[in-house]
Amino acid sequence: MTGAAARTRALALALAVLTLLPFASHSQFFVNLAMLTAISAALGQAWNIAGGFGGLTSFGHAAFFGLGAYADAILQTRYGLNPWLGLPAAAAFGGGAGWLIGTATFRAGLRGSYFALVTLAFAQAFGVLANSLDITGGGSGILVALHPGAGRFQFTDRRAGYALAVALLALATLAAWRLSVGRFGAHLLAVRENEDAARALGVPAVRVKSAALALSGALTALGGVLYVQSYLYIDPGIAFSAERSVEMLLVAMIGGAGTVLGPLLGALVVHAIADTTRSLITTPGVAPMLYGVVLLLIIGLLPGGVVRIAAVRGDG
Amino acid sequence: MPHMLTRRAALAAGAAALSLPAALRAQPAEVKIGMIHPVTGPLAFGGSQCRLGGMTAIEDINAAGGLRSLGGARLLAVPGDAQGKAEIAASLVDQMAEQKVAGITGCYASNLALAATQTAAKYNIPFSIDSGIADSITARGLANVFRFFPNNTTMTNQAIACLDALNKAAGGPAKTAVIVHENSEFGTSTAKLLGERLGTIGIAVKETIGHATPTRDFTNVVLRIKSAAPDLLLITNYPNEYQLLLRTVYQQKVNLVAAYSVSGGGFSLPFAKDQPQVSQFMIDYNHWHNPHDPRAIAFRKRIEDAGHVFGWEVLFGYFAVRVLADAIDRAGSIDPARVNPAFAASTFSDDWLPYGPTRFVQGQNQGARGLGLQIQDADIKAIWPAEFADAKPVFPRPRAS
Repeated sequence: MTGAAARTRALALALAVLTLLPFASHSQFFVNLAMLTAISAALGQAWNIAGGFGGLTSFGHAAFFGLGAYADAILQTRYGLNPWLGLPAAAAFGGGAGWLIGTATFRAGLRGSYFALVTLAFAQAFGVLANSLDITGGGSGILVALHPGAGRFQFTDRRAGYALAVALLALATLAAWRLSVGRFGAHLLAVRENEDAARALGVPAVRVKSAALALSGALTALGGVLYVQSYLYIDPGIAFSAERSVEMLLVAMIGGAGTVLGPLLGALVVHAIADTTRSLITTPGVAPMLYGVVLLLIIGLLPGGVVRIAAVRGDG
Repeated sequence: MPHMLTRRAALAAGAAALSLPAALRAQPAEVKIGMIHPVTGPLAFGGSQCRLGGMTAIEDINAAGGLRSLGGARLLAVPGDAQGKAEIAASLVDQMAEQKVAGITGCYASNLALAATQTAAKYNIPFSIDSGIADSITARGLANVFRFFPNNTTMTNQAIACLDALNKAAGGPAKTAVIVHENSEFGTSTAKLLGERLGTIGIAVKETIGHATPTRDFTNVVLRIKSAAPDLLLITNYPNEYQLLLRTVYQQKVNLVAAYSVSGGGFSLPFAKDQPQVSQFMIDYNHWHNPHDPRAIAFRKRIEDAGHVFGWEVLFGYFAVRVLADAIDRAGSIDPARVNPAFAASTFSDDWLPYGPTRFVQGQNQGARGLGLQIQDADIKAIWPAEFADAKPVFPRPRAS
């Protein structure tokens, strides 16, 4: 076993232990922070599948998050469906949207910053639609009635919500790991590194990229469902804001885009800084400023992400 | 044995101790009050104003001897910055629940209040809403959520009545309107209600224009208003956009019978003083104190003398805490099972707001109301209804030149 591989395993073990810690806590506040971190890591990992492994730098992943959140909220409040059904519905909407957006943009030959702008535009467009349509409640959003109980996908004990967030994170991480070792992942990496060369070797670039975006979209949409079921409220600002998209790519990039463990580390670092400063400093403005400074330092000193410290890039 | 305590001396000491006032026998415990507001981000000004009001109320209650039924227990503020994010507002409720707060006030914005109150309901923590105006905050049947102040429906209905009265008194010069609103819960729901009600007073809506928060350039919005040429411009949005929109209306010389807002976020004394030409004759239906009550005048002076801006958000923060503290005091306990019913039965009257008798129905105070206000010569004046007015309305406004 190489030194890097050993360090990767040690890091994975440490992350697993950290993941289990909140289950032993009786503090709902701490568990809630852990849940937000786990959802953030899952969303970062979902972004990482397209943006990190596929090089499809998306500035509009909130589109998928919002689609999933609204699908879940609308199906239960308008059509009376059990909220658990929101999970497959959201995955279908998010995956379908990813496939459609991918196919349309990649067939048109849009790459790099053009693709980033298209995704941003889609998120903005969905936001405008959510603000305008009756079915989404317009700017008022959708309020899910409080009915605590596992059957209604609402948990009084946040540890249950945390368990679901960890499950989503595990699913997304499994998908990322499969990409790092499997044939489809190899195709995706080949397209990321040199699309023309990959095409010349027979890799169906449009299909591979669209599939990656669909997978990423489906996982991101599941994160939207968890958000709605945790906070029982969604509006266009929460669902489709640029801030939400930025957080997903920030988590992946701070941790290390294109690595399996990067988004997990990124979410831990980003939330640890944000939540610790917010809890310890009550003077308005100081906590966000400190958060920004620390992020700048990380980006400046570790351009490959926190995962670089463990030198586990690539096979991490 | 000179130092040994005799039985008689011990009994005497015990009797003396029992005769001491309760406050001297034991230091009263502190009662924690959570305050959730956005004090950073785009809503920071309003959130900070609410927090200022809440802190002032705690200062006053403690100075007056604390909560009497709890042995003079002092209130301790537990502030939290929601940063304008619903999930952080909910997270703060979890944090405050673990800090054993007796109640929470907040959250300035309706979307923050909706998320925070849902979480507070899980703990049954009494939640005193300050400036979240959406009807749905108290209309969900949550037994722990109370709003001393008017909701959106009340404000909009009264705003329409005020507009109708002003228009009729002037001979009915206003017949058409354009509505501009910010596109989140607050602005959208108000614009929707306004659109429905304007027809009932004979004013036709020519166009309804939504915009995001933040928006920094209103040129296109104002050009659309200008081409629609309405008699009235109705606005409902947050402070920065409110003032930027009106500045653009002034710069573009849009001729209007009146510019009128409902719960206008930017309708404030700094706006009146800093931009006297832009703000002159702007009418707003909003929350305000009773201008004839000397306590209100003294409170305003106290806030301004301390170097702060006086606005209705300060009043909201102030009375949200006062009415919550009153409920805890009457309950004689910090147990939510006793405080929530005490809150629901509140007849709180120690205020200087233009309200009728306090009576909560499903968490909403039925006595709450707003006032018709107008900026005149860099000050805010109450113009409607007559019983609370301290100035005559200028309606229609002079033509733009």
